[in-house]
Amino acid sequence: MIYLILRRGALSLATLFLLASFIFFATEVLPGDALDVSLSADELAMMPPEVLARRKAELGLDRPILERYLSFLGGLLTFDLGRTIITRAAVADIVTMPLRNSLALAGVTLLLALPVALAIAMAAAHAKGRVLDNAVSGAAIIGYSIPEFVTGLLLIAVFAVWWPLFPATVTASTDDPLGVLLAAAPLAIATTIIGSIAYLGRILRVGLIEVMASDFVERLHLSGIPRWRILWLHALPAAMIPGLSAAALYAAALVSGVVVVELVFAYPGIGAELVRAVTRREVHVVQAIALAAAICVVLFNLVADLSIAALDPRTRR
Amino acid sequence: MRAMLLRPAASLGLLLVIAHVLIAIAAPWIAPFAPTSLLDTPLEPPNATYWLGTDDLGRDAFSRLLWGGRVAMLVAFSAGAVAVLGGALLGLSAAYRRGSFDDVLLRLVEMKLAVPTILFVAIFVTGFGQSVPVLIVAVGIIQMMGVVRTTRAAGIVLMEQGYVRAAQLNGESGPTIILRDLLPNVADLMAVEFALRASSALLLVSALSFLGLGISPPTPDWGLMVEDGMALLESEPALVLAPALCIATLVLGINLAAEGLADALGLDAARGGSG
Repeated sequence: MIYLILRRGALSLATLFLLASFIFFATEVLPGDALDVSLSADELAMMPPEVLARRKAELGLDRPILERYLSFLGGLLTFDLGRTIITRAAVADIVTMPLRNSLALAGVTLLLALPVALAIAMAAAHAKGRVLDNAVSGAAIIGYSIPEFVTGLLLIAVFAVWWPLFPATVTASTDDPLGVLLAAAPLAIATTIIGSIAYLGRILRVGLIEVMASDFVERLHLSGIPRWRILWLHALPAAMIPGLSAAALYAAALVSGVVVVELVFAYPGIGAELVRAVTRREVHVVQAIALAAAICVVLFNLVADLSIAALDPRTRR
Repeated sequence: MRAMLLRPAASLGLLLVIAHVLIAIAAPWIAPFAPTSLLDTPLEPPNATYWLGTDDLGRDAFSRLLWGGRVAMLVAFSAGAVAVLGGALLGLSAAYRRGSFDDVLLRLVEMKLAVPTILFVAIFVTGFGQSVPVLIVAVGIIQMMGVVRTTRAAGIVLMEQGYVRAAQLNGESGPTIILRDLLPNVADLMAVEFALRASSALLLVSALSFLGLGISPPTPDWGLMVEDGMALLESEPALVLAPALCIATLVLGINLAAEGLADALGLDAARGGSG
């Protein structure tokens, strides 16, 4: 088991290393260097060549690519995310609080959506092929066909405009305590939860139905064990495994969802920060946000992988 | 195809997709006004001339609605095609060759899974600017990785088949085996994958446009229209709800059709997943 943890951990690190390299080459090598990307085409054309060369030397961009790449990786290892090219603000300061806020939103969503999705999937699997199951499948396909920003808008239209129960946008600010922030964002949380329930419910339902059709369930059934008991005690743990292996996809989808929902409700998280950074061409902030999100997803996936290994001895190779 | 059409949900889905595609193609002829010309006072309520009213710049919202799916569909379907063709070739090559090529490819797939799609596109847009070709390539690459996974798995099963072994013993070259013996046998899977990839590409593109990172103004686009109209939800709900409804019905249509197709072909749509 210790060998397994080390092996999976090393694989996760390799994934992150590859990703960091990809980010560096996509933003600092292929399109020109960090300064080229930070300036608009007009600004670049207006700037006299010797000024441009001087600024590049100041920023250390005149060094060879390999040297810049190594210092980029070195910076990541020491958690030095650098400073923005134009305003020289520390990237870590810009990113920390929004990241905290987004993690809180994602965490609350997961905590609330998982039990509901599980209950719905169980009910659907129990009634496979009947009205309830079909209704659940139908609702799920509608649920994941509607983009998060449309769900969010519909919630605003119904619960903030026509029937003013909740605020349409989040009024709390970036540095508020998490309790205040989350309390100010009921519709944002509801939107991410709806998306998550559709996603998780679908995966769990397929897993449960597959397990319920397997030989060992058939045998339990023939031994006279009631269906609900099989479902709870035998099928559920077995169905957790395909559910867990879809965890990485879900985590990535959740982050994408959170990014969009934040923009709909003006929630002060990495989504809002990301859009601001891309439009203002703050390369290092985009890099930091992408890496931070990827680290969260990779960690989530690692935990899921290790849980699968703990639940299912066959996967421990 | 017939087995697919026997399912009411699948037929409904196909109908929705066909209707959307026809409207998008015919938009230049059936739209009452040009989508980008400033016609009248902004925010006219819906009336006989402007069926959905005018938007915040005085453009005809109905004409923009008819035009609004064109670029998004172009990007989504092109990206879907890029993803399925590229993904199938890579996946089958990995199944054929295995070894280090396979290992590297799997690592890349894993890396893609770790990056939320929107962030992935944001990296591309930061580096290469915001344009339709960049969007097609970025979204295509993202969607490709999922196709690599499913076609590789299918290819590994096919490699054990007698006729593939026979071709190998005959001394056929790798590309010949991949193109002639493996590729035709994953055609079903590729059709389902294309539908799934196109629908998730469409969701992604409209979300990106909504964020201001996708299709840029003044191109008429549903995601952009929703973004523009959001502040007017209270006074002019039609400006927001109509494009939102269009996106939702199109994606729903593709998903229903994909699920029906997968059912009819005996494949599992949920397994393909929408990464």
